[in-house]
Amino acid sequence: MTRRTVEIPVGRGAEMGMDARPAMGPLTPVDVAEPDIGSEQMLINIGPQHPATHGVLRLICELDGETVVSVTPHIGYLHSSFEKLGEYRTYNQIVPLTDRMDYLAPLIYNCAYAMAVEKLMGIEVTERCKVVRVICLELDRIFSHLLWLGTTAIDVGAFTPFLYAFQERERIYQLHEELTGARITTSATRVGGMMSDLPAGWAQGVRDFIDTFPRTLNEIDSLLTTNAIHQGRTIDIGAIGPEDAIDCGLTGPNLRASGVDYDVRKDRPYYDYETYDFEVPVGENGDCYDRYLVRMEEMRQSVAILHQALDRLPDGPINVEDPRVSLPSKTDCMNDMESMIHHFKLIMDGINAPAEDCYFAVEGSKGELGMYLVGDGGPKPVRWRIRPPSFVNLSAIARLAEGHLVADLIMINASLDIVLGEIDR
Amino acid sequence: MGLSEQPAERLPVASSPPGGVLGAGTPTFLTTRLDFVVNWARRNSLWPMPFGTACCAIEMMAAAASNFDLARFGMERMSFSPRQADVLICAGRVPYKLAPVLRRIWDQMPQPKWAVSMGACASSGGVFDVYSMVQGIDTIIPVDVYVPGCPPRPEGLIYGLMMIQEKIREERLSEHGTLRAEDPAAVARARADAEEVLALSGPFGNSTRQNRVSGPTGSDASDRPDDRIP
Amino acid sequence: MPASTTVEALRAAFPDAVVRDLVQSGDQQVVYIDPSRNAEVLDWLRTDPGERFNLLVDVTAVDYGDGRPLEVVYQLWSIPHRRALRVKCELPLSRLAIASVTALWSAANWLEREVYDLFGIEFRGHPDLRRILMPENYAEGHPLRKDFPLRGRFSRAEQTRRALSQDMEQYYMPDEMEGRGAPQLVPADESATSGSGSQGR
Ligand code: SF4
Repeated sequence: MTRRTVEIPVGRGAEMGMDARPAMGPLTPVDVAEPDIGSEQMLINIGPQHPATHGVLRLICELDGETVVSVTPHIGYLHSSFEKLGEYRTYNQIVPLTDRMDYLAPLIYNCAYAMAVEKLMGIEVTERCKVVRVICLELDRIFSHLLWLGTTAIDVGAFTPFLYAFQERERIYQLHEELTGARITTSATRVGGMMSDLPAGWAQGVRDFIDTFPRTLNEIDSLLTTNAIHQGRTIDIGAIGPEDAIDCGLTGPNLRASGVDYDVRKDRPYYDYETYDFEVPVGENGDCYDRYLVRMEEMRQSVAILHQALDRLPDGPINVEDPRVSLPSKTDCMNDMESMIHHFKLIMDGINAPAEDCYFAVEGSKGELGMYLVGDGGPKPVRWRIRPPSFVNLSAIARLAEGHLVADLIMINASLDIVLGEIDR
Repeated sequence: MGLSEQPAERLPVASSPPGGVLGAGTPTFLTTRLDFVVNWARRNSLWPMPFGTACCAIEMMAAAASNFDLARFGMERMSFSPRQADVLICAGRVPYKLAPVLRRIWDQMPQPKWAVSMGACASSGGVFDVYSMVQGIDTIIPVDVYVPGCPPRPEGLIYGLMMIQEKIREERLSEHGTLRAEDPAAVARARADAEEVLALSGPFGNSTRQNRVSGPTGSDASDRPDDRIP
Repeated sequence: MPASTTVEALRAAFPDAVVRDLVQSGDQQVVYIDPSRNAEVLDWLRTDPGERFNLLVDVTAVDYGDGRPLEVVYQLWSIPHRRALRVKCELPLSRLAIASVTALWSAANWLEREVYDLFGIEFRGHPDLRRILMPENYAEGHPLRKDFPLRGRFSRAEQTRRALSQDMEQYYMPDEMEGRGAPQLVPADESATSGSGSQGR
């Protein structure tokens, strides 16, 4: 305990000296006991069960007053061993696991996984399937960004955007349900195609959604973008420059907010993304506000892509004709022995992928989502590795939050758009 | 949901004139059973403690959001602090690393309290019959209602919560102590010994392949030799 | 398919560090390098103006089982040149250690911790090599190794017992956050790591 001398100024205004220093009043300076704030730092624990950590994330912060000196994140509270489980499942059986990993954008994970297996096996999917998957990818980008938008708005004290965003999400839930029968756990893809073709009227449903969705988005936009409180809580908070962002391995909107123009859809295009007309929004300052702006613009660009994809949706088969992966038609199974055996083999033994390895990345809603598969010629992968975008993004939080207030730490965490299911896998 | 919906014999009303129970000019008191009033109040102002971890938590959020609106059932206040909560909704996967957290949150909730296990993972481990996952949270805390599904729809969760309300309706204040007898100090202590955990967790979950033999060598993995070969 | 320009340049710069190269899944370039020189080679790939693989996408490992060596896999991407490269190092089971690349990319920090946690590969020079996904006192080994059974080594009852006996107060005190000592591959006695805080509550 140290002591310091405090001069208690009394009287202001009239007694104020000419140099604007408070004049000394009748009280003499006194010695007061002072807790040694300078050297004593407080350690507080946030999580793992805390509404503002967006999942079961535990942050241990060292604070100096209210300023964050250091943050140590602890993860693994949702470790469900997807990668180990994948080694015990055949290639098509893994699909249902993928959407349980990132439950905010299940279709993106379904598609990314199926694409990786197809790349490993050298299968080119049909034109219709390509466009359908682009629709799925972009629809779920909106789906995921909407949840981010709603929950982040709650973190800065705005509840209305959450309700607006969930209303729109509910419509995507319904589209999911029409397409696959499930609201979140879609499992829509199969190696070589989709679970089934689009149900009648589904494309029109997507059209209806994207016709009216921008209006709601603009409403949320008008609530937040120029809102002084929102700006005050986000501008210059958690800023990171382009060099540092690359060093930390950030990808997706978090990287682009820092001004690095890297988007897998543009740089390593798949499914003819190079032929769609869309912009990749890039920020400047890499702070929470830029990350917000980038995601808002991405939703608009996704709407543009959806319009183009729906316009070009070709007819034709949705699944490839490849005896290695595609099931024979029901009529054939009923009529000839060979097809029957083939069907039985594919279902019971699974499909065999070559003994090679393959890394395939798509632009997920959180960043570069990679699937790394090692096959051994058999029906199960030797190793199934997910390159987790939010895992790597979250690892930068210590660097981002240093020197900010605790309340800003919550905002920084929210602006990184993490999903613990995929961080912990 | 109001008092007046209840059958007449459970609601003896003092000198109730024709024209309504609480109409103008009538006496403004009524007599009823204490049990009934307390349960009525409890079940219509349940404050859930959302213990959401994975996909099921998203459906729980959807249940609280605009379209399904849990507030209709007196649950608009999601209580993120266990000390002000009545119902624990465990939605999602619970790995062993999270188990002591769940146990501690349950212990921090004041009596009377209820628990809902939402989804296949919380109830039985679901597809995750693996090294890191708790095979059903009933090995950690007592559970009142299991909501099946992967994930359950918001309607399912709401139905589960209504079953809790139904359960509360039947509760007796006089029996409360026996219904919820548990000693939190004995359960959440660090390094409880094996017999204690076994006794507390019995019946040991509802998943099929769990053995109750404790010991570092026995592993139920050998029960299914297929799964040992990747 | 002929070896890409990157591999040629790499062979020219490090004639004895490149073990072999191959192309997988049609167009994916893979290079096997000498594990004892990984940091050096990766640093060259990161900074050489002709290569500039500045984004470390992923660090992971593969266990093929049957006593075959473990592979550490680095996925690299060059933002300026729009090129991908996969670099692999083979580690024999008897010597599961490799130099850390956290000094080159901060992104490697958590990725290497994860590989250490799940495979037991030690990254020499890593600033903070601890388990990341599994609890600190996890005593069953390294889960993604092929000899690890899917449901773990202990019975469910034992796993539950150990889980409930985890010390919730871990890392509350600053002295527990520092000076954890040298990492152990498999904690010999988990009570040594978790028993300290349990009495004082
Ligand atoms: S039950 Fe299904 S939806 Fe719920 S947490 Fe488990 S995997 Fe996710």
